[in-house]
Amino acid sequence: MTALLETRGVWQRFGGLVANSDVSISVGRGEIVGLIGPNGAGKSTLFNLIAGVLPPTQGSILFDGDDVTHMPAAERCQRGIGRTFQVVKSFETMTVIDNVIVGALVRNTVMREARRKAHEVLEFTGLAARADVLASDLVPAEKRRLEVARALATEPKLLLLDEVLTGLTPTEAQTGVALVRKVRDAGVTVLMVEHVMEIVMPLVDRAIVLDLGKVLVEGKPNDVVRDPKVIKAYLGDRHAVGA
Amino acid sequence: MDKTFAARRRRDLIIAAVLAALAALAPLFVKDVYVQNILILTLMYAALSQSWNILSGYCGQISLGHALYFGIGAYTTELLFTKFGVLPWFGMLGGGVIAALIAMGLGYPFFRLRGHYFVIATIVIAEIGLLLFQNWEWAGAAMGITVPIRGDSWLKFQFMRTKLPYFYFALALCCLAWFVTWWLEDSKWGFWWRAVKDNPEAAESLGVVVFNSKMGAAAVSAFLVAIGGAFYAQFLAYIDPESVMGFQFSLLMALPAVLGGIGTLWGPVLGAAILIPMTELTRSYIGGSGRGVDLIVYGALIVAISLALPQGLVSLFSRTKAKNQIKGATR
Repeated sequence: MTALLETRGVWQRFGGLVANSDVSISVGRGEIVGLIGPNGAGKSTLFNLIAGVLPPTQGSILFDGDDVTHMPAAERCQRGIGRTFQVVKSFETMTVIDNVIVGALVRNTVMREARRKAHEVLEFTGLAARADVLASDLVPAEKRRLEVARALATEPKLLLLDEVLTGLTPTEAQTGVALVRKVRDAGVTVLMVEHVMEIVMPLVDRAIVLDLGKVLVEGKPNDVVRDPKVIKAYLGDRHAVGA
Repeated sequence: MDKTFAARRRRDLIIAAVLAALAALAPLFVKDVYVQNILILTLMYAALSQSWNILSGYCGQISLGHALYFGIGAYTTELLFTKFGVLPWFGMLGGGVIAALIAMGLGYPFFRLRGHYFVIATIVIAEIGLLLFQNWEWAGAAMGITVPIRGDSWLKFQFMRTKLPYFYFALALCCLAWFVTWWLEDSKWGFWWRAVKDNPEAAESLGVVVFNSKMGAAAVSAFLVAIGGAFYAQFLAYIDPESVMGFQFSLLMALPAVLGGIGTLWGPVLGAAILIPMTELTRSYIGGSGRGVDLIVYGALIVAISLALPQGLVSLFSRTKAKNQIKGATR
């Protein structure tokens, strides 16, 4: 089985800064993969390259068997890549349901069907009661949820989650975790960038650790957290020796 | 939930039909030509503002250069009529198409600009258009074009003895602009436009081709405004660059929508219904002194309304609804 997503030797330079150097990762169908790493590791850059915000300086990105390296974001969405934003970007002057309809219109050209799809997604994500509220009136945790709902409405094959569980209360985070599982069980592959290790590690099937723009370690979450290289990257040399 | 939404759409349509029917009966009671004149201008600006609202309100691309499309509609109609004998009805459509094409041609470079830079570009382009027409000999330059009078007829769309046909045309145009907005509001385009206005980056990530959305909005908006320009030219029977392409038209298209509620279905109509009569009345009652008192009063009224209702006049009607929504949500 070929991977759903693959990056091959991806480089991204911003002037003199190398944000990603020779990053090759792959995500298989039906997986939940966590992309982790300390601040400035290049997670967000890689995430944006996959989402199509900007093309990489070098290397290629393959999605579902096709080269999408230079494809604009809107077209990637039509191909089946959905994403959320780390800093939520709701359509503030629109209601929750209208926000989701925008996403649903990718695969439903008839308004009535798009609306029905949007309601379905709101049920799925637990936002149905808030359908007619303005997005600007939602509390932060709900806004995160709306980001996910909107992306799901585009019926993606791959869902990119950018720190959706960060900054939530433990209860909210647990509901978030349940939602991500539910999404995967519905047949969507998930690639998530995350900071909060203790929440992410039990959730993901595989973790990819980035450090200084490179893939440091990749593997089962349990192995990854014990890896001396990872501990060193997060906590410094002293602790790595102890491990 | 779907039901309430459909019901709201239907309710809007019924209110519009009732208002249009009432407006159509107005000439039965209003015999005064001066008042009729105000009604015609009010309807025309409502239609123009409604059209402006499509690009600037829904899609969020604030244009202060729509006078250009207004003037193009007027000039296309009168040039075709006086030089080639083409009936104004065809000139009107032609002007609309040309304006839409120009809007897209200009959009190609300028939709890459954001916020204030885009606004400045629209002002500059409209000024360039004005200067070009002021110096274009074949089109009458600064002297303008006098529309030859061939007697009252619907075919040539000119009437000297009565203003009523203009009134009904302005009403029809207003209904058309409103209906187009109503129809687009619940369409893929309407949703795309609002998404683009609120957050282009998020819109793009949801499959919205931002650039095409703006182009579509610009074309529809310019087309309708040019129809308005063609109407105005026939109504005046004389045009020159300043009187159909001046900056004041750009402002008078934007103001009703802003005052009434930008990016809303009813804002432009409501705004025009208050603003245009106010413009005319302040001018005729206190404008005679030549000291600009009318403009001071007019400006003060606009400032007062915008301070009291920053969301526009429509918020008078929707405020209670918004409250109910919040209440319903927390229950």
